[in-house]
Amino acid sequence: MIRFILNNKIIETHKPDGMILLDFIREEEGLTGTKEACREGECGACTVLIGRLNNEKMEYKTIASCITPIGSLKNCHIVTVEGLDTGDFTLVQKLIIDNSASQCGYCTPGIVLSMTGFCFMSEEISYDAIIDALDGNICRCTGYASIRNAGRSLIDNLKANDYEKTAKKDRLQKLIEMNIIPSYFAEIPEKLKKIGNRSNINISDETVIVAGATDLFVQKPEALENQKLYFMSERKDLEYIKEENGNILVGGAVAIEDFRKSQVIKKHYPELEDYLLLHSSTILRNTATLSGNIVNASPIGDITIILLALSARLVIENRHGNIRKIELSKFYISYKKYDLEPCEIIREIEIPICSKNEQFNFEKVSNRKILDIASVNSAALIKLSDKKNIEKLRISAGGVAPIPLLLSGLEKFIGKELSAKLIQEIAEYCMQSVTPIDDIRGSAKYKKILLKQLIIAHFNKINTVQK
Amino acid sequence: MKNVDMKMHVKGQSVFIDDIKAPIGLLNAALFTSPVAKGRIKNIDISAAQKSEGVAMVITHKDIPGKNQIGHMIADQPLLAFDEIEYIGQPIAIVVADTRKNAKKACQLIKVDIEKLEPVFEPREAYQKGLIHAQKRVLVNGNIEEAFKKSKYIASGRIDSGGQEHFYFETQRALAIPKEADTIKVCASCQSPGAFQHHIAEVLDIPMHKVELEIRRLGGGFGGKESTAVWVVAAALAAKLLNRPVKLVISRNEDIATTGKRHPYSYDYKIGLDENGKILAFEVFLYQQAGGCADISPAVLGRSFLHTSGSYCIPNVKITAVSCKTNIPPNNAFRGFGVPQGTFIIESALFHASEIMGKNIIELKKINLLKDGDFLPYGMQLKKTNAVRCWETLDEKVNIKKRIEAVEEFNKNNQTKKRGISVIPVCFGISFAQSTLNQASALVNIYIDGSVSVSTGAVEMGQGVNTKILSVAANTLGIQKEKVRVDTTNTSRIPNASPTSASTGADLNGMATKFACEELLTRLKKLIAKKTNFFDLDKIRIKDGIVYLCGAKLDYTWEELILDAYNERTDLSCHSFYATPAIYYDRVKERGRPFAYYSYGTSLTEVEVDILRGVYEIVSIDVVHDVGKSLSPEIDKGQIEGAVIQSIGWTTIEQLRYAPDGKMLSSANSYKIPDIKFVPKNFNVMLLENSENPYAVCNSKAIGEPPFIHGLGAYFAILDVLRKIRKDKPLPSLPLTPEKVFMYIYE
Ligand SMILES: Cc1cc2nc3c(=O)[nH]c(=O)nc-3n(C[C@H](O)[C@H](O)[C@H](O)COP(=O)(O)OP(=O)(O)OC[C@H]3O[C@@H](n4cnc5c(N)ncnc54)[C@H](O)[C@@H]3O)c2cc1C
Repeated sequence: MIRFILNNKIIETHKPDGMILLDFIREEEGLTGTKEACREGECGACTVLIGRLNNEKMEYKTIASCITPIGSLKNCHIVTVEGLDTGDFTLVQKLIIDNSASQCGYCTPGIVLSMTGFCFMSEEISYDAIIDALDGNICRCTGYASIRNAGRSLIDNLKANDYEKTAKKDRLQKLIEMNIIPSYFAEIPEKLKKIGNRSNINISDETVIVAGATDLFVQKPEALENQKLYFMSERKDLEYIKEENGNILVGGAVAIEDFRKSQVIKKHYPELEDYLLLHSSTILRNTATLSGNIVNASPIGDITIILLALSARLVIENRHGNIRKIELSKFYISYKKYDLEPCEIIREIEIPICSKNEQFNFEKVSNRKILDIASVNSAALIKLSDKKNIEKLRISAGGVAPIPLLLSGLEKFIGKELSAKLIQEIAEYCMQSVTPIDDIRGSAKYKKILLKQLIIAHFNKINTVQK
Repeated sequence: MKNVDMKMHVKGQSVFIDDIKAPIGLLNAALFTSPVAKGRIKNIDISAAQKSEGVAMVITHKDIPGKNQIGHMIADQPLLAFDEIEYIGQPIAIVVADTRKNAKKACQLIKVDIEKLEPVFEPREAYQKGLIHAQKRVLVNGNIEEAFKKSKYIASGRIDSGGQEHFYFETQRALAIPKEADTIKVCASCQSPGAFQHHIAEVLDIPMHKVELEIRRLGGGFGGKESTAVWVVAAALAAKLLNRPVKLVISRNEDIATTGKRHPYSYDYKIGLDENGKILAFEVFLYQQAGGCADISPAVLGRSFLHTSGSYCIPNVKITAVSCKTNIPPNNAFRGFGVPQGTFIIESALFHASEIMGKNIIELKKINLLKDGDFLPYGMQLKKTNAVRCWETLDEKVNIKKRIEAVEEFNKNNQTKKRGISVIPVCFGISFAQSTLNQASALVNIYIDGSVSVSTGAVEMGQGVNTKILSVAANTLGIQKEKVRVDTTNTSRIPNASPTSASTGADLNGMATKFACEELLTRLKKLIAKKTNFFDLDKIRIKDGIVYLCGAKLDYTWEELILDAYNERTDLSCHSFYATPAIYYDRVKERGRPFAYYSYGTSLTEVEVDILRGVYEIVSIDVVHDVGKSLSPEIDKGQIEGAVIQSIGWTTIEQLRYAPDGKMLSSANSYKIPDIKFVPKNFNVMLLENSENPYAVCNSKAIGEPPFIHGLGAYFAILDVLRKIRKDKPLPSLPLTPEKVFMYIYE
């Protein structure tokens, strides 16, 4: 049995864990405000809010309900557009109307939810931040100018109400006062405590491990509907990000968005906060995990490519609790084949903290800049001596081989003095060492030359940073 | 006035087809479609599918009671294929089951044996093989040979423009409910109430009066729901055969793979200029990639054909156009209806000519702009031309010269980033080019409590047509907007409605509504006259729901008036009709007055190309657009913004990809449309001031499609950058994806 709260209603259902939340909302509960438009997490029309109780406090985030299995939502508060009804229009709804930010209306509920969710999620109350929060909500009608204006007005309203300065614990109340959410939200924590349930499925050979579900439930939702599923969302113990002995330790259940915003990451790899905006969209990053990206084994996985350059290691746990450690660069065997037994999970990702003088850069080129899969991506960790000799050179490249690639043979450039000529040589070498294929993300020829250019871009970027 | 539907949209209360509460006994349908692009069906085996879980019926061509035909212009499109296969995705069978999942599962069990034939995918190849829809069209004006002889500069070449997926958010869908005595009610997401009702009647073999087609709103249409009736008719057919309600909803990827798109074109062009840069001659051959059936392609081609002179005065032309039959899903209407493609070719040719002449393209455009008294190639003389006014208004606002200089300055100071700029003028003919369609009717009912309902043939799809109609009704009657409601579009109330397309929805239906309201108002005024013994009807007014005589307010409200009218047995319901006057076109001579008026605009687009990576960013767009006297500035501004961004999608990142066998490779995860960060920070839209338009309702102008043309600016601004890097290649085709930009530079 799965128990959660949908809007203001306690739900107890015997539907399978693998049932899609959007179907549950629309077909079982008859709440048709949440729309289906792509069923792949690509458009955001189905955006809903998910709240979890964490240390007596509700934490809400937006997700794509079209690829979320209900089994991952035990003990959650799920909010659809119907659940925002305050009798009147909420502030967000009012601002959308004031700015004429809705035309055919099909994507509008999703936009309402993303803007409402933003108020909960964002540390930063700024125009740029709300645009980030809307990066997964596609609209075919408006051209977005009006939606941006609505977002800008919301920021103005939040600022005028001193929302930024409001203590975290008082924010929910503030949102109720500002008519952004209805008052019943205040009672949700108590209600959630009462329904408490935990599933305790053990991993067996037949169980499928589900983390953010953003890959699994796009690829084969039908096959998974009646599968035994093991939800990483229940592994609260693996949601940490901490610093220890020169490493950043990331729990196996950490979502990309939490990673992106974490203080530890901001401290050691501040550039990642922006780079990771190039991975999918807010509503997906909110649940998609680093581990999922790694095990997905896509030759183009953005997280994987970044972690390869950063010399990450995986801590893998089997069903008996035994642990082994492996370099990420040794994890991939061939296309979608990797070194993981059926009952093993990634428990932790270990990322060495780079030393001074080491510089990191990430490049991604995709047809659309945001919310698109790369044609080619690449990350580089480069260390230069004071005399500008290369001391360390690690470059990864995606989209150019059957697996996410750590480029080999770069040792020969170590010790050499960085010059325009050397950069060309390195770029040329990298280009010659890969064998991409023609596919929907671009022709083989394009990807090959593009990689060369991205290698040059790495050096350009670190050079400008150094200046 | 703001779009009234927004109040429901923001609460998720607007009802789209899939949100209608399921009627008892509802079944779900799915389509089984051809996996082969060209061939002949030898056998269809449905036996396994029939036995599959939950299946109620598997329908093939044999089960169709009436005509197996839904061709929109030419009878070449069977609802269900029975012999020839013309494209991958062509419907062969309809599977009806308890759930959509079961219907889909059963589809996989259908086996068809198709003898494969050689498909054709290239429009030029199709033309060479004689595979065209309808007739080749040729328009000659002036003396082209002489004019080329006189030309100092001549540019010629070949170029191509790509297709575009509509990506309306609500995919194709319908719900059909059988009623008593062989009647049927169909709720559909479609733009053509009259035509689709007709198709349903023919396929079901029942008279049209037994088919009630109802449309509340569409989750986006953009033309994609105008002509191809497959999904609506299929649902109706299934409901009729099973005597049960049937819903048919197709998935996003089915929609992308099997529905028509914007037409790709291939063009041959030749343009001649005199020593000052005045265009003397233009010769162009349009090859339209139409797909396996004619659908609405010949009409789209016709509009491209009539717009190949863009916003310019060209005295000598020869335009040839063919609609090529290729083995892909039949392409159909998409915002702009061929005009973007027609405009693209003259803009490209002129760009090319500017390179040969060595004159700045922007100056070249300006000196060729259309003016009052100029003739268009089909012999229509222009009046009230706002091409130059729009250009100059934009210039005043942004200072085009300074902007060009700023770009040059930027490029001097930057090595890896380069900026490009483009100015695009718009001249877009308004009216259906098929004169017959320029008609509409409205039914206005006043109820005894004073509330008013308006029905028209217009379909609301987010463009705000219902709000505009509502505002016309309220203003004409002199009552508060809250008293008026625009009802659904329903074929039982409004017969024979033309499609809501060609940007004419508000023009035609708004005018019909105005006529009906004026007639009702006259009836009411007569009653007031009788009651007050004041017979100068012109001096009786209703304002904000109160009656005035000679400007003096009476103690007499709308509600009281209506009740009196009812008691006096006044007819409080009025049907009215409007047909656009004085439009005609002679297809043999290719001469006439096909459009009631033109919509104008000018825009400036600036882009920044990252030379290292081949990616680019739209830096700014400034638009001036002529909307006449706007019925709703909020809605019109939204239409412009939406059209511009949708168009920039077409000209830059939206690219359809097919496998060698004709299968659509693009899907939701690879076909990317603009997102919120794609839109430039500087995006300014200005409505041309003091523009009057006597040819449309309340002096307004059509707005849905014309601003789409501005999006060409993104292509030409990127081109501006690319051509500064190298000119040793022909102009690249549209769209300019990052890959194409990159390969242009580096290959
Ligand atoms: C619209 C959309 C856009 C996307 N954009 C991008 C993008 O820009 N860049 C990109 O790289 N990817 C993108 N993806 C792909 C996907 O979101 C990412 O790969 C994501 O990181 C997957 O994580 P997840 O937690 O959702 O994985 P899931 O789908 O939950 O799982 C993926 C695989 O990992 C396994 N798994 C998950 N966690 C563990 C664990 N701890 N131990 C062992 N096995 C585990 C699962 O069993 C499964 O095989 C996109 C996907 C969608 C739908």
